[in-house]
Amino acid sequence: MSEVVLSGVSKAFRKTVAVNDVSLTVPDGAFVVLLGPTGAGKTTTLRLISGLDAPDSGDILIGGRSVLGETPAQRNVAMVFQQYSLYPHMSVRENLAFPLRSPILKTPEAEITRKVGEIAEVLHIAHKLDNKATALSGGEMQRVSIGRALVRDPDIFLMDEPLSSLDAKLRADLRVELKRIQADLGATLLYVTHDQIEAMTMATHVGVLDEGRLVQFGPPREIYENPVSLYVAGRLGLPRINALPADLFPGAPGGAKTIGLRPEHLVQGDGRESRVVRVEHLGDQTRLHLTLDGHDIVTLTDVHSRLAPGDTVAIAPKNPLYFDASGTRIA
Amino acid sequence: MANLAESAARATPPSVARRVRGLSDRAIAWIFVAPTIFLLLAVNIFPLIWTIRLSFTNFRANRNREVEWVGLRNYERILTDSDIWLTMQATAHFLIWTIVFQVLIGFTLAWLINKNFRGNDFLTTMIVLPMMLSPAVVGNFWTFLYQPQIGLFNYIVSFFTGVDPSSFEMIGSVNLAPWAIVIVDTWMWTPFVMLICLAGLRSIPEYIYEAAEIDRASKWRQFWTITIPMVLPFLMLAVLFRGIENFKMFDLVVLLTGGGPGSTTELTSINLKREAFEKWRTGYASAYAIILFVTVFGLASIYVKALNKVKER
Repeated sequence: MSEVVLSGVSKAFRKTVAVNDVSLTVPDGAFVVLLGPTGAGKTTTLRLISGLDAPDSGDILIGGRSVLGETPAQRNVAMVFQQYSLYPHMSVRENLAFPLRSPILKTPEAEITRKVGEIAEVLHIAHKLDNKATALSGGEMQRVSIGRALVRDPDIFLMDEPLSSLDAKLRADLRVELKRIQADLGATLLYVTHDQIEAMTMATHVGVLDEGRLVQFGPPREIYENPVSLYVAGRLGLPRINALPADLFPGAPGGAKTIGLRPEHLVQGDGRESRVVRVEHLGDQTRLHLTLDGHDIVTLTDVHSRLAPGDTVAIAPKNPLYFDASGTRIA
Repeated sequence: MANLAESAARATPPSVARRVRGLSDRAIAWIFVAPTIFLLLAVNIFPLIWTIRLSFTNFRANRNREVEWVGLRNYERILTDSDIWLTMQATAHFLIWTIVFQVLIGFTLAWLINKNFRGNDFLTTMIVLPMMLSPAVVGNFWTFLYQPQIGLFNYIVSFFTGVDPSSFEMIGSVNLAPWAIVIVDTWMWTPFVMLICLAGLRSIPEYIYEAAEIDRASKWRQFWTITIPMVLPFLMLAVLFRGIENFKMFDLVVLLTGGGPGSTTELTSINLKREAFEKWRTGYASAYAIILFVTVFGLASIYVKALNKVKER
């Protein structure tokens, strides 16, 4: 396992700038999650590190050495692709063994059998080892694809939304499993997702990308509590942060255009009267949809709340976030 | 549903409706299928059965005489005739070498064309041209190309090897004629194999190679563990088509060599045609045709089984 450093890396496809001057350090043994919507440059960043694409400028270091001149094979990275990328003409066993059979590694056959069996056990695909790769369900294919990365001992694991095609239960299971494997192996992992639960639960560091730029990088807690902009604030938190005009409540600092209110930033029973539009009982939480001066607000309330549509609730901000006209955080 | 059926019933002309009424669905289905089945029986099955029957007789289509039942004698004579084994040998030579060359050259061309470069669409069209030509045209102009004094083929060979162009005859020589027909068929049909291989190559998604690249497979290993196995079903299909076609090869070779010199390029289909329509030994030729049919059918069946196994892998 190694530290991976990107410094001033840019990559454009024709006129579209996919990655724009990104500098980022993935510490040895860290689980770094890149967050961002479609087109933010997440996948391109992974492809640049893996060597499938070459950056236009900047440098990439793996374990302290620049890898710009190296092929993907020389870089020793493992990657899980979003679209499975299994070898369709091979069985699950052959797919998992394929990276180990690389002449660079010279793995003995007994070792291959042991490792493949081990990984198959962890990913619950041991009973499918002799199936053809194309005779699997989507979830199984993705697990094989993850397994093909895990059998190796690379400098870094690159994962491109590996859980996005799985059903909710499997996703939750594998999330825990991946985190455990990463901790056990002490693996360095760079993980791309747009799922904030994955980011919050697995990451040691989160990087938020916006149109190719890395806008904030830090521990998930810090990104959540201390976002640098409205854009970053909107990437984490469920229900999503409420962005409202700053003058809706008194006490806004000068230059503030928008006030950002997460559920924990709203005190109920005091302040301005708002009307309840809808109450959603989700079991472990109850969501409250409010309207105040024509603005929609979503927050949480007591699980056993007896509020009903049409009721009024007084709300006041508590330590909210303020943003200026450009969306930059000012308080 | 009921409404639909009712309105459909109403749309049927009364005269037809009257006649159809009372017939079961099954009977109506048979009415639709019957013409096709009748046609199939008339032009495929009946001639086949008739040929089998004729193959046990000494019938001659150009004579009006009593037909005798000869049992298996035709088959016996064919299988022990050394001349027929020679034509079989000529056919095997033609079949094997055309397939070897067409597969090797066709796959290589497909592999090269599949790389992205400017003008590869134009090049593909140019390469595919020979297979669009009529065998009659190809046969005639290759006869010119092979002409020892003025032919381009001999000239080019002499250009590269220094051999005197008029010192050898591709078509007239016993040693070279079997190769002359192999060359022409390869020239004409390699594009076909190339097209099928190209379809196979294009069906391999780019991301599989990217995954292999990440899995530290060299280009060489990618070629043998990904490209070849994934193109193999396509390639085998091309071989099947070419194999069956060339087993029946007639027109091109007749135009080029006419089976000569002597009978060095007399393939089975040419030989069969001579027996049936020049010597008029109809019964004998029928037995000959049945033997050829069983051979092709048997070989093709075994081959298709193997092909399916490869596809399943």
